[in-house]
Amino acid sequence: MTGTMGTDVVPLAVEGLRKKYRRGVVLDGISFALRPGEAVALLGSNGAGKSTLLGCVTGDRLPDAGQVRLCGHDPFKDPASAAGCIGFVPEQPFLYGELTVSEFLQFVAAARRMDASAARQESARLLDLLGLAGAEGTLCRELSQGMGRKTAITAALLHRPQALLLDEALNGLDRTSAEHLVAELDARRGAGAAVLISSHDLDFVGGWCGRGLLLGPGGRWTMLEGAEWEAWRRAPGLAFTE
Amino acid sequence: MADPFRHPRPGAWIGVGLPALLGIAALWLGADSVRADPRDGDGAFGLGLVVSAAVAFWTYPILFRPADDALLRRLGIPARASYWLRAMRLAALALLVVALVLVPHVAAGTVGGTVLAVAGAAAATAWGAALFALAGGARDAVSSEWRPGFWSRRIAFDREMRNAGPLVFAPLVPVVDGIVAARLTVAEPLPAWGVAAAAAIVAALLAAAGARRFERAAPRFSPQAAEMAYAPAPEAGQAGLVSGRGLARLLPARAGAVRARDAAVVARRFRWAGRVAWPVAVVCVLAILRAGERPAVQGWVAGAGAVVLAMQAAAVIGLGRMEREGRRWLDRAAGLAAADRLLGRWAAAFGMALALVVPVGLTWALVLGAGAWMWIGAAGASALVASAASLAAAGR
Repeated sequence: MTGTMGTDVVPLAVEGLRKKYRRGVVLDGISFALRPGEAVALLGSNGAGKSTLLGCVTGDRLPDAGQVRLCGHDPFKDPASAAGCIGFVPEQPFLYGELTVSEFLQFVAAARRMDASAARQESARLLDLLGLAGAEGTLCRELSQGMGRKTAITAALLHRPQALLLDEALNGLDRTSAEHLVAELDARRGAGAAVLISSHDLDFVGGWCGRGLLLGPGGRWTMLEGAEWEAWRRAPGLAFTE
Repeated sequence: MADPFRHPRPGAWIGVGLPALLGIAALWLGADSVRADPRDGDGAFGLGLVVSAAVAFWTYPILFRPADDALLRRLGIPARASYWLRAMRLAALALLVVALVLVPHVAAGTVGGTVLAVAGAAAATAWGAALFALAGGARDAVSSEWRPGFWSRRIAFDREMRNAGPLVFAPLVPVVDGIVAARLTVAEPLPAWGVAAAAAIVAALLAAAGARRFERAAPRFSPQAAEMAYAPAPEAGQAGLVSGRGLARLLPARAGAVRARDAAVVARRFRWAGRVAWPVAVVCVLAILRAGERPAVQGWVAGAGAVVLAMQAAAVIGLGRMEREGRRWLDRAAGLAAADRLLGRWAAAFGMALALVVPVGLTWALVLGAGAWMWIGAAGASALVASAASLAAAGR
């Protein structure tokens, strides 16, 4: 299943999202939407709920209330359609340790019903871009953390999704690979994809993203855009002020 | 499944192969004690119980907790496809359980049509009933219309446990159904193979019905299942690990620290391994007191004890597999030697088994005049094998 790059489809829309754990409220009524072609930073200190939000959006965590729409599809009612819309790189990506890198990517392509030949070409291009050329025959369990993350990124980009959700995806990448990845994401944005990226590199997201969703303790949140975002970029931080 | 042969690793082979080999050897050597004669009602009951309980126990992790569940959902793999793949895994496990229960019969030369029919009927029925019941439990757990019933309200001391009520009690269904199927197989004048074939057909129908339930439940239950796997918070008032108390005082300091850590992790991450011991111990003690002089009862009690020790061994080996994911770095950084880890883990595993072997062993000795040390020895040996396999599974 490959994504199409129509610019009239909202890649991601979240309405009234709520999530509570035993330790307290983590997400409290979050509402926002990603516009085609934009990059939004997901900001917050450790434990603020960034991974929880991404999990609720991708269908990995069940929200207590609220709605999520991925290209118009509910990931909890129509997961197959929603799956074609997103490419998600979790903070700790799951790889089949018993498969090689190329076998893993072949499986991902087959599961998404991509054309085998096109998938092979795209895999080779992305692996080369991220500095993994030559590692196709390496078992996933023998990959370093950075190489495993690059494999997961390749798998997420393979089907050209409209919404890219990256949870600390740049962590552990060498500088060259990170630059190549950012260039690839820019190309995808130019074709209409939207990116939601969580990162502790505040200078990078401040320079690259157009606005930021800041999460605070107790479920507080605010969307920084326009003048607020420009002010934040001049003095990036994670302190939450009302 | 081909990975151990494509890319053989000593740790993986030892971690799985050693306990399997020793378990089969124990079943072979103890054939006369653990073999249940299915030609009579009690034997069929016991055989059905062992087979169906094992299948029921493993259904939830196979159906809802495979490691690649989130990845497959994100790839758009249909829920029904995942369901049938996992149903096949459960069927393979059921066949493995049947093969294991046949080992003592092979050793004693009593393998025949009746044994195969009873074990097969129990396995097939438990398989289909487990898929149907647990898929239904998952559907109810995420349904806004579900309300806790009588039994679910009895576990309302924990909100999350209460909300998972449909799943807490669902495994009882395949256990009971498997026992009934096993018992019917030897009931006159029903033909054994006819009952087994009917059980297989009913099981297939239940599995198909379970597929529809799973398809409805999966999008909302699967993410919830991942959160339900979190270990509950320690009870209020617990302050730190308990180290150097009781028999643990005999351990060297480092091994004692390992024991305290492993005991805490197993108690929280594999809570069922500890909790299964005392109800089985109660039943075994009552059985020995009531009819301990009968060889059939002795066989059941020994079999039940072996099952509990095997389950606890599985939890200890699971602990080692968790460490393979990267937690071993702390042991290396702290300078813990392999001997410390082995001794500490053995002590934690042995301690977990004491809840079973002490009361049952003492009762056994009181009623039968001997054999208490057999139970202590079995627990110690099982803990040793499990600990060694656990360390092998953890890797370097």
